[in-house]
Amino acid sequence: MQRRWFSAAAILAGALVAAACSQAPAGGGGANKGEIIIASDFPTSGAERSSGRGPEAGVAYAVSLNSNIKGFTITHKPYDDAVNGAHDPQKGAQNFTDMVGNSKILGVVGPFNSNVARATIPVANRASLVMISPANTNECLTQTFSYCDPQPSALRPTGKNNYFRIAAPDTVQGPAMADFAIDTLKITKLAVWSDNETFGKGVADNFAKEITKKNGTVVARSDFDWKSTNDFRPFLQKAKDAGAQGIYAGATSATKGCIPRAQMKGIFTTDIPYMGPDGIGDTQCIKDAGDNANTNMYFTNAAAEAAQDPANTALINDFKSKYTSKEDLGAYTFPGYDCAKILLDAISRAIDTAGGNMPTREQVVAAVQATKGLKLSTGTYSFDNNGDPTSATMAFYQYKGGDWSFVKQFSVGQ
Amino acid sequence: MGTIGEAVRRRRSALRSGLTGRFLDLGLIVVVAAFLILLATRVLEHGPSFFLQILTFAIANGGIYALIALGYTMVYGIIELINFAHGDVFAFGAFLSASLIPVFGLGEDKPFGVLPALALLGVFVVTMLVCGVLNVSIERIAYRPLRHAPRLAPLITAIGMSFFLEGALFLWKGPSNVHYPNVLPSAGFNLFGAEIGTKEIIVIVTALVLVVALALFVERSRLGKAMRATAQDRDASLLMGIDIDQTIAATFFIGALLAGAGGTMYGLYYNTSVFDLGFSAGLVAFTAAVFGGIGNIYGAAIGGLLIGMIQSFWDGYFESAWTQVVIFAVLILVLVFRPTGILGMRVPEK
Repeated sequence: MQRRWFSAAAILAGALVAAACSQAPAGGGGANKGEIIIASDFPTSGAERSSGRGPEAGVAYAVSLNSNIKGFTITHKPYDDAVNGAHDPQKGAQNFTDMVGNSKILGVVGPFNSNVARATIPVANRASLVMISPANTNECLTQTFSYCDPQPSALRPTGKNNYFRIAAPDTVQGPAMADFAIDTLKITKLAVWSDNETFGKGVADNFAKEITKKNGTVVARSDFDWKSTNDFRPFLQKAKDAGAQGIYAGATSATKGCIPRAQMKGIFTTDIPYMGPDGIGDTQCIKDAGDNANTNMYFTNAAAEAAQDPANTALINDFKSKYTSKEDLGAYTFPGYDCAKILLDAISRAIDTAGGNMPTREQVVAAVQATKGLKLSTGTYSFDNNGDPTSATMAFYQYKGGDWSFVKQFSVGQ
Repeated sequence: MGTIGEAVRRRRSALRSGLTGRFLDLGLIVVVAAFLILLATRVLEHGPSFFLQILTFAIANGGIYALIALGYTMVYGIIELINFAHGDVFAFGAFLSASLIPVFGLGEDKPFGVLPALALLGVFVVTMLVCGVLNVSIERIAYRPLRHAPRLAPLITAIGMSFFLEGALFLWKGPSNVHYPNVLPSAGFNLFGAEIGTKEIIVIVTALVLVVALALFVERSRLGKAMRATAQDRDASLLMGIDIDQTIAATFFIGALLAGAGGTMYGLYYNTSVFDLGFSAGLVAFTAAVFGGIGNIYGAAIGGLLIGMIQSFWDGYFESAWTQVVIFAVLILVLVFRPTGILGMRVPEK
């Protein structure tokens, strides 16, 4: 009996708290109708800060420029999904659970890594929370292929899409470098290795497929348990003996992407090109390559470089004056900025749909999906039904004189 | 060997007797034979020069593991403690020598000659001594006060020390891979079509010299004799006038000298290190020590060499993703049939 009284009291207390909470955003009125939070989720501590801090700063910058939309105060809440210096899907899922519980959060920019996306899309999906990623490239996040595990539909338990990205998927990034190798570098015998992770293996497989399709040969192929080894010599030797003219690394700098580059010295008596995806396009890769860092190193970036468009000069200079740390401006800073702009634009339209009131998360998802030809710093964006950009830009970089330098970029259709 | 060896031998014969035992034996022979045939076809397919090339990589790789494994095995042999911090002392050696290289006037862009070789020797000596002092301090702070405590207590402080060192290395050089300057010449000479690098030769020769020096030291010197006596029966050694504390400290010191040398060689050979290198490399090295027979220094050397060879050969001829699995599969097989490791363990009599 006593127990029943107790639970009744608990329910009553709970209801009161809930009522008090739901009242809060409605208060204020007039010029300030309440607060809308844009969350971001990137690995921003430890080794991966060099990857994650750029887009985070981009989101912070976009929000600071648009701190008030139609009477709502817009704020930015950053989340970090790195544990012990490496991105962690489980930590990402915890972050998203926290976001889902915060009714002021209407959208998320992120995550950075494909395996974190795989863990977080279902969490956000159940709450119809929109996510826009500047950097996820794994094709299975949005497109159905027989080899996908899990399939995109399994990531979306409600059956409706809440996930969007502006980066070109791996089905584009890997083949783009394969085309570059065959057409521009004029090499046809390639050795391919990967870190055996979702991203690395995906992009390596797609690279290898395109090489075969264009009548080239993959002469050696290995997937490494990257955590347990630093010894790439046997693989490199195998590649050399098979007559490899170039090596493709399906890895990131954090998964030892450029350590084989240093070990190539002494095995390859004549130097051959070393290529990789966006994951090796940072200063860590250059450090790891050591005295074997030279102009024979290339990487693709699944997003356009904002600085290549003269129209962005003023924007970039303003950003640089406000965000001065070296990590703030990376390859994904302006893609992060653009994702936040897409979200802000969608929230603005969703507020109209809601009659000037706080929009629901479903209204924000619908508004992002309806984005049409929005011209931003890295491209003009619309989304297809899968959440992929209808056209994405692929940029190529080469190591020159101490840093990565831009070679060319072009738009690739889906 | 004594009682433990006896017990183990009896247990093993029980496992292998009877029909099931015979099937087990047969199954194992079939698996090993099938694997050897597969390996032979791969070796033939890739040709002899590739084999020779992989063999040099394998011996260099194994030599480094052997040096780390020796430290584990010596400490276990004398006080039956798995010194988890040993792997991190090795990683510390790699970090320290990376920092010492510019101090000694060495660098990537400088040509290698007699003077740089002497400087490199200086790097080796300083790194080894500092690692030795570090390991002795660890023993003094974390293990000696617990020498008569229950076994689990020093095991836990060993884990604590390992994390402490890892944290210190993290604070020192950050979470990312630390590039290790490539100071050794990359040129080599041609042997039956295989390019034998100077690097491999330096690593193999250094490892060999250190292992032989250690063996001679333990077999011939007074301190070596004291170490063996302490390992056999601590109380009797005490009665015979051996300073137990000093002998154990010396064991830690010598183990760490080898770890320091191993760390320097690892850096010079792979050109990279990272703050938690001690965990992954230490795990493999400890496995090597068990593989060869823990407490047995020849066993550790052979175990390290074998594991390094399995790793390189598997990487060279098969799918690298499975390398770690294969190492531990072989370990399980060896331990099932030789529970005391390849050469048999040598631990204190109890």
